[in-house]
Amino acid sequence: MKFLAVCSSGLGSSFMVHMNIEKVLKEQGITGVDVDHADLGSVGPGAADVVFVGADLADSVGGLGDVVVLDSIIDLAELRTKVRETAIRKGVTVPDAGAN
Amino acid sequence: MLTDLLTPETTLFADRVDGWRDAVERVARPLLDSGAISDHYVAAMTDSIAAGGTYIDLGFGIALAHSRPENGVVRTGLSSLRVGETVLLADDPAHPIDLFFCLAATDPQSHLDTMMALATLLSDETLRAELLASTTPADTLAVLTKIGQNA
Repeated sequence: MKFLAVCSSGLGSSFMVHMNIEKVLKEQGITGVDVDHADLGSVGPGAADVVFVGADLADSVGGLGDVVVLDSIIDLAELRTKVRETAIRKGVTVPDAGAN
Repeated sequence: MLTDLLTPETTLFADRVDGWRDAVERVARPLLDSGAISDHYVAAMTDSIAAGGTYIDLGFGIALAHSRPENGVVRTGLSSLRVGETVLLADDPAHPIDLFFCLAATDPQSHLDTMMALATLLSDETLRAELLASTTPADTLAVLTKIGQNA
């Protein structure tokens, strides 16, 4: 399973989202997910199982498959919810998934 | 360490600025003066925002102005500007900004620690509030020393 954070530059916001996804996965005890980040221009369909983007790129990633849009890329509470939902949706084993 | 990059010289405050372009120019100024970036980098950031690149709005009134390394980064640098009057990024009411950062990154891997610290700082509700409440460089630098302590 691969989650990919994408932004226009591939350096700033996507990198932060990448690190925050890893933090959230770790704190929730979710394993088996690779996380990476990239710039929009270098990402094609199939680059990852799920692509995470900020709201501004929501319209630009239509061809990238499964996309999760973040309202704020530094809102850990939002990310916790969305990463967890996504992991469950993709069939990744999530500890205490029933307690969600 | 963030405190290697955010110093009294690169931590700026302004009661008011003349719109988002002025804010970007001001926050980039210390990096320009120290030679971390070229004029081209400032233009690249400004052009990107003007073209709709409001993705630098991280949420909570914080923006991380940056562009790609090949657009004029000489060495890694970081600066901040707290504006007293909220600025609308790209003149868009959907993007009110109170705190600008300017990031110059040579490549993602060489400043991993910096980005991790910045992500930790900005994603922490308490530290974020303290950062936005800072009114002097000393306040901001005091917040930076708390990064990771309660993580």
